[in-house]
Amino acid sequence: MTARYSALSLLSRGLRGRNWPLVWRRHELAPTYDAVIIGAGVHGLAAAYYLAVNHGIRNVAVLDRSYLGGGGSGRNTAIIRSNYLTPEGVRFYDRSVKLYETLASELNFNVMFSQRGHLTLAHNDSSLRTMRWRAEVNKLQGVDSEVIGPDEIKSLVPYMDVSAQTRYPILGALYHPPGGIIRHDAVNWGYARGADARGVQIHEYTEVVGIDVEEGRVRGVQTSRGHISTPVVLNCTAGWSSLVSRLAGVRLPISTHPLQAAVTEPVKVFLNTVVVSGTLHVYVSQTDRGELVFGASTDPYPSYSTRGSLEFTEELAGHVLELMPSIAALRVLRQWAGLCDMTPDFSPIMGETPVEGFLVDVGWGTYGFKAGPVAGEAMAELVATGKTPDLISSFPLSRFADGRLVGEKGAAAVGH
Amino acid sequence: MTARVRAARSSRRPAETPFRLPPQPGEVIDRSRLVPFDWDGRRYVGFAGDTITSALAAAGVRTFSRSFKYSRPRGILTASALDPGCTVQVGDEPNVRASARRLAAGMSVVPQNVWPTLRYDLRSVNKVVAPFLTAGFYYKTFMSPRPLWPAYERVLSRFASGGWTSPDAIPSYYDQRFTHPDVLVAGGGPAGMAAAVEAARAGARVLLVEEEHELGGSLRWGGAQELEALGRLRADVAQAGIEVLVDSVVAGRYDDNWISIAQRGLPDVTERLIKARAGILVVAPGLIERPYVFAGNDLPGVMLSTAVRRLIDLYAVAPGSRAVVLSANAEGDAAAADLDRVGVEVVRVLDARRGEDVRRALGRGTLSAVEVADGSRIDCDLLVTATGWTAPTSLLNMAGNQPVWDPLAARFRPGEGLPDTVLATGGIVGDGSVDELVAHGTATGALAAARAGFGSAAVVAPLSPHPHPALFRATTHGFVDFPEDVSSKDVMAAAAEGYDSSELVKRYTTATMGPTQGKLETVNTVAVLAEATGRSIEELGTTVWRPPYAPISLGALAGRVSPPARYSPMQPWHETHSAVPLVAGEWIRPDSYGDPAAEVRAVRSAVGIIDVTPLGKLALHGPDVPNLLAAAYVNKWAKLDVGSVRYGVMCAEDGVILDDGVTGRLGAARYLMSTTSSGAATVWQHLESLLQTEHPDWRVHITPMTTAYASINIAGPRSRELLTRLTDVDLSADAFPYMRVRTGRIADVADCVLWRIGFTGELSYEIHVPASYGLHVWEALLERGRDLGVRPFGVEAQRILRLEKGHLIVAQDTDGLTKAYDAGLGDLVKLDKDDFVGKPELLWQHEDGAQQSLVGLVPVDPSIVPAEGCQIVDGATGILGRITSSRRSPTLDRSICLAYVLKQYAEPDTVVTVRLPDGRRIPATVTPPTHFDPEGARLRG
Ligand SMILES: Cc1cc2nc3c(=O)[nH]c(=O)nc-3n(C[C@H](O)[C@H](O)[C@H](O)COP(=O)(O)OP(=O)(O)OC[C@H]3O[C@@H](n4cnc5c(N)ncnc54)[C@H](O)[C@@H]3O)c2cc1C
Repeated sequence: MTARYSALSLLSRGLRGRNWPLVWRRHELAPTYDAVIIGAGVHGLAAAYYLAVNHGIRNVAVLDRSYLGGGGSGRNTAIIRSNYLTPEGVRFYDRSVKLYETLASELNFNVMFSQRGHLTLAHNDSSLRTMRWRAEVNKLQGVDSEVIGPDEIKSLVPYMDVSAQTRYPILGALYHPPGGIIRHDAVNWGYARGADARGVQIHEYTEVVGIDVEEGRVRGVQTSRGHISTPVVLNCTAGWSSLVSRLAGVRLPISTHPLQAAVTEPVKVFLNTVVVSGTLHVYVSQTDRGELVFGASTDPYPSYSTRGSLEFTEELAGHVLELMPSIAALRVLRQWAGLCDMTPDFSPIMGETPVEGFLVDVGWGTYGFKAGPVAGEAMAELVATGKTPDLISSFPLSRFADGRLVGEKGAAAVGH
Repeated sequence: MTARVRAARSSRRPAETPFRLPPQPGEVIDRSRLVPFDWDGRRYVGFAGDTITSALAAAGVRTFSRSFKYSRPRGILTASALDPGCTVQVGDEPNVRASARRLAAGMSVVPQNVWPTLRYDLRSVNKVVAPFLTAGFYYKTFMSPRPLWPAYERVLSRFASGGWTSPDAIPSYYDQRFTHPDVLVAGGGPAGMAAAVEAARAGARVLLVEEEHELGGSLRWGGAQELEALGRLRADVAQAGIEVLVDSVVAGRYDDNWISIAQRGLPDVTERLIKARAGILVVAPGLIERPYVFAGNDLPGVMLSTAVRRLIDLYAVAPGSRAVVLSANAEGDAAAADLDRVGVEVVRVLDARRGEDVRRALGRGTLSAVEVADGSRIDCDLLVTATGWTAPTSLLNMAGNQPVWDPLAARFRPGEGLPDTVLATGGIVGDGSVDELVAHGTATGALAAARAGFGSAAVVAPLSPHPHPALFRATTHGFVDFPEDVSSKDVMAAAAEGYDSSELVKRYTTATMGPTQGKLETVNTVAVLAEATGRSIEELGTTVWRPPYAPISLGALAGRVSPPARYSPMQPWHETHSAVPLVAGEWIRPDSYGDPAAEVRAVRSAVGIIDVTPLGKLALHGPDVPNLLAAAYVNKWAKLDVGSVRYGVMCAEDGVILDDGVTGRLGAARYLMSTTSSGAATVWQHLESLLQTEHPDWRVHITPMTTAYASINIAGPRSRELLTRLTDVDLSADAFPYMRVRTGRIADVADCVLWRIGFTGELSYEIHVPASYGLHVWEALLERGRDLGVRPFGVEAQRILRLEKGHLIVAQDTDGLTKAYDAGLGDLVKLDKDDFVGKPELLWQHEDGAQQSLVGLVPVDPSIVPAEGCQIVDGATGILGRITSSRRSPTLDRSICLAYVLKQYAEPDTVVTVRLPDGRRIPATVTPPTHFDPEGARLRG
């Protein structure tokens, strides 16, 4: 049974030296489930959670070939924001921000959502123009977002060089106060714990190696631990999603690219906002632990490798020092990479496929962590009701066959 | 308190150094050179060669920091770069490894993570609430009430460990260097030195990299025999013509032996990143001594045996006065002997090989006693542990090797399977006498040289680890990760809660996430996890070691930051004529010369010239150029005759507009294509990709010419008159009509290309002259046109001119979704062509009809110039379109715009509502895109 987390329970268990119950339990595979979710990242776990909580569907298995959160959900730089470019994008991500705002209390797990503000810098008049466009669309959707000038940027980020002497002078920024960062692992674990408490079974180290399709309908999945029958399979495998879909005979317009990130050694907190520069291909935030977390755009070639490259850290360092020249002495401690499932229009694919019962929640590219809650909620509704919720109706797989793409390239390429 | 205030307070009489020993045989300090420095507001003096901690330890300093969570005092543990409790602030530089950084005169060193002082730390109250602060406690609390989280967060972030940065820090000098050694040896201990010598003798160019300040590894703190061997090896290295880097660390190994080295200790360079493409990499980092886990294992005074030997033998510092030694190996025994030799009382040696053990270390602030497993209690101020080794396999991991657990030796060692270009030698591979290690190194060096093409192949006799008792934790709980304040109890609690794999336990407890990245901590963490879960260390394995092996500064990674900028050959003129610079991607070019409106008027009434050198230019040669043009552009190209130019639009696969420009046919199989300035690289790449992947059979050569030509546009009713004065080309309207191209001389410069096109809507000529004559032609135009009223104009004037004319700019009036039909370019799209990039998508769009149109728009109030990006709205939130271009027109004396609106609002004279950024809503009238001279009479004249 789950025990409630609180300051008091922490203290009393701490003093009595009592351990906490399992955050999620281990199970044998059952022969049948009402639904099988592939991928225990934020998307799979959130979908499982909302299936159980909002729709009472609890006989659900979440399968992952590795440890929970070992994909993009445990490797991302955890930027949350909703200042996208298209009205459908803004509405969708804004719902996610709203869910994140109450997630800690809902899950009784502190996900440390730090709404510290998000700055996207403009170094030329064309990005300034796009930012104005974004700000105006955001405001019309009720999302707090405004174009600000160099002086305001300097007061938010005193370390920023906003002088005109730099190679790419900072002309302004899109400022989005509700944006921020979150503790990604906590989100994954919190959803897992919440789903587990309601009877969802989470199976780590269980790889899906086949999907049974008969007469255009899903019947079950083959796993490294045995066979399961189920009428519904939801693919939430991000970087691996095109491989997994192929097991069901569904081709996705997705190519997988590595995305790298790095952190520095900790220093006393001096950066209280998230800073993104599309022109310089870099973004940076500082965690409460004091580490600077950096990211950039994806590697230019498709690959399933999660190794970091030296060029990445070199470029990143050069660009960061363009922005904040006084931190040259800070040292990079660790670099890593994750896989991103890129679609041609920088927007996700959510919903049904030509195979009945085989659903996808994929194409999350470099920006999918922030969408975990809303995508989970919407996909759970689709599984439970068979109807595609409005909020995700612009993102069907079919759009690639009939030319109705969603235009988020401008707002999602580096910004995540 | 700032470093400066502390320094000012420091008393001027330096502290005594009661723990300094008489000269030691292998000491690395120079007693003839005194180095004064400040620590925590007090003056100290060390010797040249001292590290910060060795000099302070000589003066009896025991505590160097406090831990970030429990605020526990921390002292010397390893006396090496890994020393977890000895990270300090030196001036503006945070997180300096005090046990590896050599003293420099006048250094101002202050402790980190102490508030208000090192001795009295208010956060020590944390100890009272320690039971509350178990691993991951923050996930379980601070959740409610929700509005308070920002306040909680501020408190939590106060605890951030590490030093300070300053926004005003003056960036120091960093550098980069490239090198291509045949053999690169990482680690200058006995095996590494021997390998380097042997490889060099075989004729290979060798780079030997050592993290510490001198070569020798563990030989440096050995006895007479080791020191003698060290002397021999150093002499060999010196003779063999090897490049040696000390105080430098091999930080990463990437694909194809691309190797990063952080080099320190250079005069005037803070840190240098060396990038080496090494033929063969020999990994010889030795072994890292592993701390032992027991209650109080972090008290200042608890040290590893190697720390004791470093302090005594390298720095002549007595690490304490009364010692207890827990030894499971020869190194521990040697430490006990060293202590005894220099007069430190060794009260007891506990032999772990015989099952003797410590239970806990006791003391307030620093160590005062040890409780032994048999229950006895011994007073002491030094507890030495020698309980095992960790092989630093990370460079091998980066080369794809998985370490394997060796249960007999109780350590991981390299697994099977390394690329041919990577070898390992020394302690990381196995144990042996100095001679055995040197022999292994020598053989490995010979093999490395042979693989790099020098000398003949050699056989390397295997070297295996010696058996070692498996010791990780005593019967009590202690710290497994010092900087992160994670104890074995935390690891067990995390495992019990279900965070029971190496990855999950790391993420949940943050063990191994600190400054040493697990080099000291990983194995103990995994061992405790194994104990907690009943699984074996083998089964659990470690987390993946990621680069860098040791942290590298942003400064060194960046090198000398100098992002390239591109300028046209006319830049010197622009600079001396008050041009306002515009940063346009790679290019920096004149935005205006101070008065864009006047520049516009000059073009409309007389003649203006603009430097358009950044326009992308590609020379296309070959019989299949027409095919390429037909495939890349949406319009037709088959009938372009010699002497003609044509406007074209390119779309991507998704039908979205990629670029536009004109292409002219200069000869039978010679074409010149122009692209937008920002699209030059993309278009080149796009065309090459078409040629190389889809049509490898087409015979076309593409030569980028952007910077080979300087380009100038001469625009205005008097442009013909001006240009005629300078060229032999017949410019008369009949001889050289609109949309034609000619070649000829301009201002005595041969091989110029002239085309008659018009972005501004005026009669105009675009000329491309060999770049080295750009400035000459530019000046000649201004000189010869003075009486005609010629005036240079910049990008801003050009934007206004083209907006008046209603010409779109790709990427401003189009975006990542704009297809040809949306932008009103549908007439150009020739769907009856066989094939072209984007055809299927455009076919769909053609069938469905575009949803939106690009239109002209004029605010009803002509004085309001809406910001670009403003939305055209309907009611509170409905969006009908947006403004893409907006300016005040000097010609029409009013504001004019280009905008997208939904089809049903695109009829001229429709009145729509524009929402301004400040929230005001204003009416505006839809017009055709062209605001000025819709018939084009001026252009064609
Ligand atoms: C470096 C980096 C930085 C990022 N930064 C941000 C950011 O700042 N903000 C943001 O919103 N997004 C960011 N992202 C993107 C974000 O991480 C992802 O979009 C998101 O985590 C995807 O979540 P997911 O649950 O769909 O997939 P994942 O978390 O990747 O989970 C997929 C899971 O599927 C499992 N799996 C794969 N194949 C199989 C199989 N055959 N059988 C069983 N299981 C399988 C994998 O083991 C994995 O655990 C970033 C990504 C990276 C790599």
